[in-house]
Amino acid sequence: MVVYSFYIFDRHTECIYSRLWARQPDRPISSGPPPSRPISTSSTSSAPITLAPTNELHPPRRSTRLSAQDDAKLIFGTIFSLRNMVRKLGGPEDSFISYRTGQYKLHYYETPSSIKFVMLTDTQTLNMRNVLHQIYVNLYVEFVVKNPLSPVEHPGGEGVANELFELALDQFVKGVL
Amino acid sequence: MVVFALIIINKAGGLIYQRDFAEGLNKLSINDYLVLAGTFHGVHAITTRLHPLHNHSPSSQSAIETRPDPPSGIEVLETENFRLQCFSTLTGTKFLLFTEPQQPNVDKIVGRIYELYGDYVMKNPFYQLEMPVRCESFDRKLVQYVRPLNSR
Repeated sequence: MVVYSFYIFDRHTECIYSRLWARQPDRPISSGPPPSRPISTSSTSSAPITLAPTNELHPPRRSTRLSAQDDAKLIFGTIFSLRNMVRKLGGPEDSFISYRTGQYKLHYYETPSSIKFVMLTDTQTLNMRNVLHQIYVNLYVEFVVKNPLSPVEHPGGEGVANELFELALDQFVKGVL
Repeated sequence: MVVFALIIINKAGGLIYQRDFAEGLNKLSINDYLVLAGTFHGVHAITTRLHPLHNHSPSSQSAIETRPDPPSGIEVLETENFRLQCFSTLTGTKFLLFTEPQQPNVDKIVGRIYELYGDYVMKNPFYQLEMPVRCESFDRKLVQYVRPLNSR
C-alpha cells in the first residue's frame, strides 16, 4: 500500500494544500512559461522558418510532464465533473467515493462545508474514505481550524501548511499504512 | 445483484447506446445522457495523465517488448449508491456498466456484452460506424443476457 499524494481543496475551488510522497525527480516544481509545442521540422515549406527563433528560446520539452499546480487543477476538474455526474445519476444524496485506473486509485471525501480531501494511492488500497475523514477530524480541525493565528479562509493555502499539521499528517499517513 | 444500466460511448465521445435494465438510477433526458457521455470521455482522458509516478517516461529504446502498457483511464468508479465499470476497447469505444456497489464479476459481464456488441452490432451490415446503435437483435440479446442476472 503506497500513498502517492494528498490534496485539500477549499470551497472556492482553490488547492489550499498539497503533499507529494512519491519521488518525482524530473518534474518542475513551479509552472514556468508553458512549453512551446514541438514544431515539426519535416515540413518543406518556408513558413516554419519564422517560428524557429521562438523554438530556440523555449527548447521543446516533453509535453507529458505537468507541473504540480497543473496536476492539482486537473485533479480538481476531474473530481468536480465526476461528483456532478454521480449526483445526477444517483440523486443529490449520493457521493463519489473513489475511482481506480490501471495505475493508481483516487479517494475522495467532501465535508459538509465543501472542503474536499483527495488522496492518490496505488491500486491495491482499500477504501480510504474513513482515513480521509480522520484526517479532517483529527488533523485539519485540530491544527488548522483551531489555530488562532490561521485565517478563516485560506487564500493561497495560507495557514494550512503549519508545522504541526504537516508533522501530524506525515505521522498519520505512515502510521496508517 | 442488480445491473442498472449500460452506456456505450464511441471514440469521439458521443453517446451511441443507452439502456436501463432496473430501477435505481435517476432517469435523465437524452440530452443529459449526451452531456454525461461527453463529460465522461473528457474525464477519462484526463485521468490517464494524472498518474503520480510517471514511470512510463518515453525512452528511445527500440525494444518493443520492454514498452510498458499505455496508461489507462478510469476503470472502476465507486459511489455510495452504485458502481461504474468502464471497459475501454482497443479502438476507443467505451462500455460503461452501472451496477450495485457489491456486484461481483462485473468485468465478465462487460466482456460478454462486448461480445454481443461484436456479434449483433458490428456484424450488422446496415450499421454505420460511430453512429447510434439501433439494432433490434442486439437489444433482444442484451435483455436476454442481463435479465437473469438481475433476477438472481
